[in-house]
Amino acid sequence: MEEITFRIAPESKVRKKPSFLKPWMSIKYLFKKPVTIKIPYESLEPAKDYRGFHTLNWKTCIGCNMCGQICPARAIEMTWIEVDGKVEKRPHPKVDYGRCTFCQFCVDVCPTNALGFAESYMLTTEWKDEELQLFDWVPIPPETFREIQESRRDWRFPVERIKFNKETKEVTYYLKNGEEFKFKILGYGLKPPAAAKPKPAAKPAAKSVEKKEEPKAEKKEAPAKPEEKKE
Amino acid sequence: MIETALKALFILLYATFVGFMFMGIIRIVTARIHRRVGPPIYQPILDTIKLLSKKSNITHGLIYDFGILYAVGATVLAVMFIPLGNVGVLRAYGDLILITFLLEIPMLGIMFAAMSSGNPWAGIGAQRALLTLLAIQVPLGFAIVALAEYYGTFSTYQIVMAQQTMGWSIAHLPLLLAAIAYDLVLQAMFGKEPFDIMIAPGEISLGPMVEFGGKHMGLLNIQHAIALFAETLFFSNIFLGGGVVTAFASPILNTIASLGVLLVKQVAVLLVATFMAAIFPRFTIDQAAKFYWKWPTIIAALGAILASL
Repeated sequence: MEEITFRIAPESKVRKKPSFLKPWMSIKYLFKKPVTIKIPYESLEPAKDYRGFHTLNWKTCIGCNMCGQICPARAIEMTWIEVDGKVEKRPHPKVDYGRCTFCQFCVDVCPTNALGFAESYMLTTEWKDEELQLFDWVPIPPETFREIQESRRDWRFPVERIKFNKETKEVTYYLKNGEEFKFKILGYGLKPPAAAKPKPAAKPAAKSVEKKEEPKAEKKEAPAKPEEKKE
Repeated sequence: MIETALKALFILLYATFVGFMFMGIIRIVTARIHRRVGPPIYQPILDTIKLLSKKSNITHGLIYDFGILYAVGATVLAVMFIPLGNVGVLRAYGDLILITFLLEIPMLGIMFAAMSSGNPWAGIGAQRALLTLLAIQVPLGFAIVALAEYYGTFSTYQIVMAQQTMGWSIAHLPLLLAAIAYDLVLQAMFGKEPFDIMIAPGEISLGPMVEFGGKHMGLLNIQHAIALFAETLFFSNIFLGGGVVTAFASPILNTIASLGVLLVKQVAVLLVATFMAAIFPRFTIDQAAKFYWKWPTIIAALGAILASL
């Protein structure tokens, strides 16, 4: 059996003598420049690839719900979307920043790299319902996000205000660069709601159909969750 | 009569304003030693205005309100007795023992108010404050005795005048020892770091101050400002030669010059206290009592003995 000796620093080398005079040395900092970032006047650049808000390439997202499954906070919910009167074939993730922990597992797991993130990290609102809408969004495309981030460089959420019309289900993002970003949310969950199925129905009928869909969409959502667990 | 009232008002306003500036200086200097920027110098004034304009004021009875007023009143009275350059309302009567006593009264007033709140933290804080008060008496007494023995008078104003001819007190060895002891005592009187056991933020959640809010805390802030002014003023009067300037022909210029000289001395005293507060950690209450009964007492007693030889 080999003997092993552990090196232990002797106490005499570790322990310091208490001193009355040495603390006075710290007065030298009185004349040094304070190490402070004066926030309203100076800004701090976040690191490259600082984990901030998400971006979503709407063209490449295939609605596989990998992100929804890996999300440890269950902040991601798939959303059925209609842009310019055209229903997207696949659902897109909607991120709830009330729950999100910014671990960006969803970004790592995304098979098509549709989900990404930018360095912006600041999102502050008051306790008004219409302002709290900001915390729940389908991320905007990376080009738009980057453009807003580069032009402002205040590392804030790129959307000024989100308006959700409950009757027409129309969502409007008022972006910080003045543009408006409009789409419709038809339903939530993995299974497509009835409105999302390509159905060239008569236009007056469409409205009544949509209203009926609301409860249906919610019901479908419920069974969808156990399915996720099985996978 | 009216002239005296105006003088008193001037002293009060000046003491309050300069006291608040001192509080600001303490915060800035502490921040710079920590390598922070710190708040603007007028920050304590804003704090006090904010506290005084609070809507809800919790009171726990008559003594709770009275204790605060008692503390403020005692501090104001102390300022009136201490000679402020050429200006002074009661300076002829301000003897060392009276002023020393008046400077400790506010602590008792705060204790009254704190104890009547019935909060256990306030009780612990009061206990600690009273023990600190007890501990600082011994070196304080010896320092006063040394002064009185050396100059042969108890009158603060006469001591100031004597220093005009004999040089500053701290130039003489016995009084230098007394000054060192008194400076250590000042730390406890300011409620500053090595001896801020009674307030002890983070340890007993502000101690006596734990129940105060709104106007009570605002008044306490004002009291603290005036007390800072009074204590530094007393120290610079008895040890740093006071500030009686007679160089100019005009009395107003003389007054302004003496106030300026005093202000410089007061800031020096304050800075030493702030440095000590920024670099030394807090004592426990038993360590503080032992410390005060040991080193400052020995130094001050030595000073007193040397002064009487």
